[in-house]
Amino acid sequence: MVENVEQLAKDLKTIVGEDYVQAALFERINYADTSLPYDVGEEDLPDVVVHPASAQEVSHVLQYANEHKIPVTTYGSGTSLIFGTKPKHHGITMSTERLTSLQIDEEHQWLECGAGLKTGQLIKELGKLGYFLPIQTQVGSSVGGAVSINTLGHLTDNVFGRPVNHVLGLEVVMPTGEIIETGSKCLRRSAGWDLARIFVGAEGILGVITKVRMVLMPTPKTTDAVGFFNKVEQIGHAVGKMYREKFPIPMDGEFVGEKACKVGYEAMGLDFPQGALAVTRSMGKTKEEADRNAREMVRLFKEVGATEAFILEDSEVAEKVWRVRENAMRWGQEKGLKGYLAIEVNPTLPRLAEAMTELTHITEGRSDLIGETEAYLYGHVGSDSLHCLFAFPYSWDTKKMKQVVNEIWNLEKELMLKYDGVGGDWGWLPYRVPFFREKYGEFSYELIRKIKQLFDPNNILNRGNLEGEG
Amino acid sequence: MNQEQLEVDLEKELNQALLSCEKCHFCNTVCPIVDSRVTQGPFGINRAIYYGLKWGALNEELRDLVYSCTTCGKCVAMCKKVSRALPLAQIFEKAREYLLVEKMLGPMPDQVGVLKNMHVRGNPWGNPSHERTKWAEGLDIPFASSDRKVDMLYFVGCACSYDSQGQKIAKNLSRILKQAGVDFGILRNETCSGHEARRMGETGLFAYLSEANTEMFEAAGISHIVTGDPHDFYSFTHEYPDNVKKLKVQHYVQFLNELIDEGKLKLSKTVNKTVTYHDPCYLGRHSEVFEEPRKLIKRMPGVTLREMENARLDSDCCGMGGGRMWMEPPKGLVSSQAIAERRVRQALDTGSEILLTACPFCNITLSDAVKSLGKEDAIKVMDITELLTMAI
Repeated sequence: MVENVEQLAKDLKTIVGEDYVQAALFERINYADTSLPYDVGEEDLPDVVVHPASAQEVSHVLQYANEHKIPVTTYGSGTSLIFGTKPKHHGITMSTERLTSLQIDEEHQWLECGAGLKTGQLIKELGKLGYFLPIQTQVGSSVGGAVSINTLGHLTDNVFGRPVNHVLGLEVVMPTGEIIETGSKCLRRSAGWDLARIFVGAEGILGVITKVRMVLMPTPKTTDAVGFFNKVEQIGHAVGKMYREKFPIPMDGEFVGEKACKVGYEAMGLDFPQGALAVTRSMGKTKEEADRNAREMVRLFKEVGATEAFILEDSEVAEKVWRVRENAMRWGQEKGLKGYLAIEVNPTLPRLAEAMTELTHITEGRSDLIGETEAYLYGHVGSDSLHCLFAFPYSWDTKKMKQVVNEIWNLEKELMLKYDGVGGDWGWLPYRVPFFREKYGEFSYELIRKIKQLFDPNNILNRGNLEGEG
Repeated sequence: MNQEQLEVDLEKELNQALLSCEKCHFCNTVCPIVDSRVTQGPFGINRAIYYGLKWGALNEELRDLVYSCTTCGKCVAMCKKVSRALPLAQIFEKAREYLLVEKMLGPMPDQVGVLKNMHVRGNPWGNPSHERTKWAEGLDIPFASSDRKVDMLYFVGCACSYDSQGQKIAKNLSRILKQAGVDFGILRNETCSGHEARRMGETGLFAYLSEANTEMFEAAGISHIVTGDPHDFYSFTHEYPDNVKKLKVQHYVQFLNELIDEGKLKLSKTVNKTVTYHDPCYLGRHSEVFEEPRKLIKRMPGVTLREMENARLDSDCCGMGGGRMWMEPPKGLVSSQAIAERRVRQALDTGSEILLTACPFCNITLSDAVKSLGKEDAIKVMDITELLTMAI
């Protein structure tokens, strides 16, 4: 905790202006609260929240923080599913919400935007010109945040690549205040050393991304298909077969397990067969090509035993089907289970179906708190990414909630090690540090710590995340 | 129920609702009052209420946030679509009630006199109650009563009774109704519907005003009400006592379509205008009346309707709802003018000559925004009734 918060706020106001430093209680709470099921406490709050409007202002804030050895936590939009944005040592929370510039340059075939621009806004603007954003973080997330975590493991990653494949260059402010430009303004990226690639996926510990340049991607034509299965494992078999037999891979795909489907159909008013569901979005340069590829998915689903599979011709029905998956978080609530936590497990392809079976029955026969939760399985078709949502009553006190959260994270770690996964859907800092150390060893972890020290000698930026602090 | 119990119940109710928040932030992505801080939007406000209650931090900082919401309901629609369907606008109104009734922290200082005016004079501006029907002088509109039964009661509302732009709506609508041969009347002692009092958390005043109007409806034997104010329309259909809810209550866009269908109202003159339509929040999102105004507009010969980027369920707010008509949020929160100007820019993007709406509040607010943007030569704000008079 900074001793003289008043002085800190006063000093920061000279950098960003009177209106852009907030020390009021509810501002500090809002920039500390996360999607974790338990509440934040006084110990989690930043001393002040600062809103710079340029790389220069970010630089001056970081120089000031270094001079006074005050930790700085960066904040893009707060939509992270873990607690990377929660300050672990009070100090300054620095929001990028005012960095919202956007330039779509069709001549150069790239876009350049401020790190605080929301992905939803970018998707909308790109859509007007016939382009799309190959990033599937939720629409309220910031572009800088999505690039920092190198996005999530939907099928889009497998088909189009992760943001690291689309980022041409970055403007980054180093923890010590230097502003650097990385990458390229032409479509060709350096095959060798390219500092942009170091910052993409670094989860904010090496620098503050203030501007992002990405290639433009033309929007493909798409057709949706759906398959219904008695058992969710059949979808796992379908995914393996899709790769092995070289089916045209869709640009997106989701699946929902049996238990969750039932509630989802009810919520959406869909009269579909009981069991599990897989929905895919096939693409093509023409609608005919997309239709053809979607028919291939229907064939695939039928070959692995789907009770029914068809093309989703009606766009309204298609939207509802996708929303069965999107509404995953609501399911627990139907039973009065308002607390929840989701995990990510990505098994190797041959063990996908086995992992699905295990997760379907994960709460059964357990004597720990996980045994008292309700689990729902869903995930992303084709990217081997399984999510299991554990729902529990909000009436549990904070201590009990923290205990179940720790049990769930530990379970995730064990499953990832067992199925040889790597995680990273939502970024792995800070709670996946134990997993990283166990999987890759202390030497690898120490290497990252040394890189961090080189970039940030005073450990100013997002202190506590690499240390795995909660 | 004693005062202490009421306080406990309100707190409990708020807490239960707020506990359900997934903290996904989707609500903030559509909120008109979010500028550049997460705290400004429904997510931030709901967390502030939650922690304010939990930590006993009920203060003016919290009040300013809670009263900054326009209650437009975009967040509610978003939460229903992707998350746990939290009735966020209602939660904020409940929090206002709690702050006002239990903690004496609400409403906003500028709104205190407004509530007093509603109570004493039956309108938020404090105009003399005997001048309420002055707009109708010379129009030969009867006062509905037990002695003079009417087929339909035109509930004028405060804005259309007192504001000069609103009065134009009242006069135009009356002319249209007369043209169609409708037997309608107004109330001699009509009083504020109380809608805005409820939005500001003054539920007691709302109950008092709703009771006064309800008694007048009953005394005059009213079975059918038409209004041009979506706020009154919403309160009558959703918040008034059951004996009002069971009456036939319509916004004029619904009734005028019926009159056209029945051949009583004919739109024969060609009006060569390109228009866009702004969905008032309490007619559109809150009451789900999206198609009737569009149908009415399209029925006018020669009129071309162009939709704005955000329309229907996704329509943006004009910025003046939820009691904001009478207050400016403190420094650091988004001004109503900024919200209205954003909406006018969307209208300008359609290339339309006229920005139509069906709400006196939106009409006033958007007209001011056109002026502040210096776009009077590019676009004109009109109520649908004004365009209709050109088509008759």
